[in-house]
Amino acid sequence: MSGTASEGRAWQAWLLPAALLVAWEAAARSGLADPRFLPPLEVVAARLRTELAEGGLAGHLAASLGRDLSGFAVGSAVGVGLGLAIGFSRLVERMLSPVLLVHRQIALFAWVPLLSMWFGGGEAGKVAFIALAAFQPTVINTWQGIAGIPQGYRELGDVLLLGRLGFVRLIALPGALPRIFTGLHAALIYAWVATIGAELLLNVAPGIAGRMNEGERLFQMDLLLLCVLVLGAVGVVFNLGAGALERRLARWRIA
Amino acid sequence: MRLNLLAGALVAGLMAAASADAGTAVRIGYPGVGLDDRPFAYGDYVAVAHVNELVQAELKDEPGVEVSWTFFRGAGPALNESLAAGQLDFAAGLGDLPSIVGRSRGLKTKFLASAGIHDPIYLAVPPGSDIKTIDGLRGRKVAQFRGTNLQIATDRVLEAHGLTEKDVRFVGLDMNTATAALVSGNVEASFGGSEYIELAKSGVVKIIYSTKNDSPTLGRNSGLFVTEAFEQAHPDLTAKVVKAFVKAARYAADEADRSAVFQIWSKSGLPVSTFEADFSDERLAHRVSPVIDDYIVARYKDQAARAKAYGLVKKDVDVDGWFETKYLKQALTELHLENFWPTFDAKGEKVTDGVVEQTKVSG
Amino acid sequence: MAGGRAVAAFPLVAGGGPAVRRRAPEAVRRLATGLVVPAALLAGWQVTAANGWLPEQILPAPAVVLQTARDGLDDGSLLAATVTSLGRVARGFAAGGAAGLLLGAAMGLSPTARRLVHPLFLALSQVPVLGWVPILVLLVGLDEALKLIVIAWAACLPVVLGTMQGIRDVPPAYLELGRALSFGRWSQLRTVVLPAAVPSIFTGLREGLANSWQTLVVVELLASYEGLGYLMTYGRQLFQLELVLVAMAVVGAIGLVLHLLLAALEARLQRWRPAAGS
Repeated sequence: MSGTASEGRAWQAWLLPAALLVAWEAAARSGLADPRFLPPLEVVAARLRTELAEGGLAGHLAASLGRDLSGFAVGSAVGVGLGLAIGFSRLVERMLSPVLLVHRQIALFAWVPLLSMWFGGGEAGKVAFIALAAFQPTVINTWQGIAGIPQGYRELGDVLLLGRLGFVRLIALPGALPRIFTGLHAALIYAWVATIGAELLLNVAPGIAGRMNEGERLFQMDLLLLCVLVLGAVGVVFNLGAGALERRLARWRIA
Repeated sequence: MRLNLLAGALVAGLMAAASADAGTAVRIGYPGVGLDDRPFAYGDYVAVAHVNELVQAELKDEPGVEVSWTFFRGAGPALNESLAAGQLDFAAGLGDLPSIVGRSRGLKTKFLASAGIHDPIYLAVPPGSDIKTIDGLRGRKVAQFRGTNLQIATDRVLEAHGLTEKDVRFVGLDMNTATAALVSGNVEASFGGSEYIELAKSGVVKIIYSTKNDSPTLGRNSGLFVTEAFEQAHPDLTAKVVKAFVKAARYAADEADRSAVFQIWSKSGLPVSTFEADFSDERLAHRVSPVIDDYIVARYKDQAARAKAYGLVKKDVDVDGWFETKYLKQALTELHLENFWPTFDAKGEKVTDGVVEQTKVSG
Repeated sequence: MAGGRAVAAFPLVAGGGPAVRRRAPEAVRRLATGLVVPAALLAGWQVTAANGWLPEQILPAPAVVLQTARDGLDDGSLLAATVTSLGRVARGFAAGGAAGLLLGAAMGLSPTARRLVHPLFLALSQVPVLGWVPILVLLVGLDEALKLIVIAWAACLPVVLGTMQGIRDVPPAYLELGRALSFGRWSQLRTVVLPAAVPSIFTGLREGLANSWQTLVVVELLASYEGLGYLMTYGRQLFQLELVLVAMAVVGAIGLVLHLLLAALEARLQRWRPAAGS
């Protein structure tokens, strides 16, 4: 039923959003909706212009992305490293898996008060929290990636007389790479969520979510809608980027 | 395992940065922000020191010294976190409750000078509200900035009217969020400071209670603190910083500078009219005084005991070993201000007169 | 995604003998290695606190944390906070899960619905749930409504996707079999489509519940005057890290219980399905 004519019907994807936008504009213009809660679209667009020009929107976004990527780098590096250690060593796995299991049960944001008391509410605390968010999916996926290497591959390594290092380099890592990338993709998303949370919960500093806080306080719905758009755009970029990377990786793999 | 080493180095670097003792950095923290979270203070001499860059001026001959100011939206509690993480050297204007809480948890600071006294609190409600008195708060949803000196002041007001925190549903919100919540009807009342005066003037809220009309000891206090670590490492710099703040206090307490001081405070986003209204029946020096006399010591002992009674701290806090007044005395002497401010005894009775009481608003 | 491997069960070797004797120390050894790190951490904690190497506001002693937990249990505050938080999760998940199931089913069964709604849905889901909170606060305030909506939205997302995917992924062979057996639309749905979609639906629900719990914590941190998140904020503001730790422990415990419950439920469902894959 579906699929064959999907190309021709691609425009349908825009039907609902367009209808909603029209309804929105109509409601805002006609006064049906309180313009404080539902500003007309051109107001939002104008806001975008002023924010880019004077509001330093680009600067805020850069600040958010900066701490996001720092935390992501630290957290996923530790995660991959630890995941590899656990994947390759039975002993390490047995020693660390209970702790990691418990650690995973604690909801991510429950760490915010603790981390802000240990690192302060400034950049250090925010980056620490973002790193933690990136750590969890990377460690699990890296571990599972290594653990999931089929027995046949391991035996191949023995047959080819590859030493430990050779096995790791030529078989294990490449074999685990897709799974590792899945973990990194998830970590990218989690880190972004953590960035927003950190900005909302910790000290004031330049940042997109921090800007949203101000917008909330000053009842500037146009600013908030704009920021939501930016958040979504970043999310899309991350997802598409990571997805594309994963697909390239899959292509390189022999099934 | 190279990844592990890299990660380890990164984390170590991060932790080092977090607890940075960057040689001769003078890191000052202020527990508050202006409107829209802008980094400006108001209502005390710290704001004057910040805007007029008095600390930088005092330290300009010291080689390699860098002064930085941080303003905490989360007020005292957030500032305490930074202190605990070793990210601050001075806490200027830290309220009585957070400083007491910090001390009770082992934060090692020295109380150098008073920063603010008799700071009033106000109770604001929406214009059409049926809450008319403190009693009317029973069971209502009220905004309060938890962990700050506002909380203990509020608790004392409640106690004076026969209520406890349990009788009221307190929502912890920072200053700007509380104001917005009150205006939008998200809370039924809010305790706060002079930020409500302008809103009351424009009719957006109604102020139904003020500690000004009640006992004067119900006001808030704040102080100037230094970490023991910094003081031991740089007593000379500490002395200069204190001197800079005393200079600021001298300026901010003088009635002749009244309008100029209000202008400085208006950088926080609150209009000059707010301060005119807030101080309409008060002299600047009533709130602006760095002096540590028996009254201040008694106030803090009292607050510490009450904090324990209200369950805000878990053990007795020893206030006596906390004060380090030698820098203050030295600054007052050097600046010939020994008799500038009046001093009071533990009961609040005046002991010595102050020159500042004779100052008048300039022509 | 299994957590750590459970201790190996004793093999069912009839007659016991050398095999059992060999395996028993093995199981014990596994348990021991699993406990080494936690035990070392606890010991380190106790020693550090006892010697005061770290200031007490950074690391309160284990005894203090235990005492705080006891106090919280005694005066009922811990239980009250837990009940409040769980209640919010339950309500939010119920609402979001139900809505998600309906929407996902609609999109899975009707290609038109999918073409119309899915793109918008996908676009909206690119924005982190947290990003909607400031707007929602302006629209509905700081009360229970806010928490319900945010938690429901967080729950709804994976449920919609899991349900939709599950229904779409039913193998055509199954559908043809149903048609061959002259199943009506309703029977087709009930007997063929839904059972085949259950694993995917269940995964969606599971993720939805996890999301609900995670979202609850952050929403309570942002604006609340009761609940576990509120306890943590209170502890943070009054510099009582032990209160934060107790609340974290409860959060972790609930997370663990949810995880185990769902794992058990999933195992039961799997047992019902034929072993020959999906």
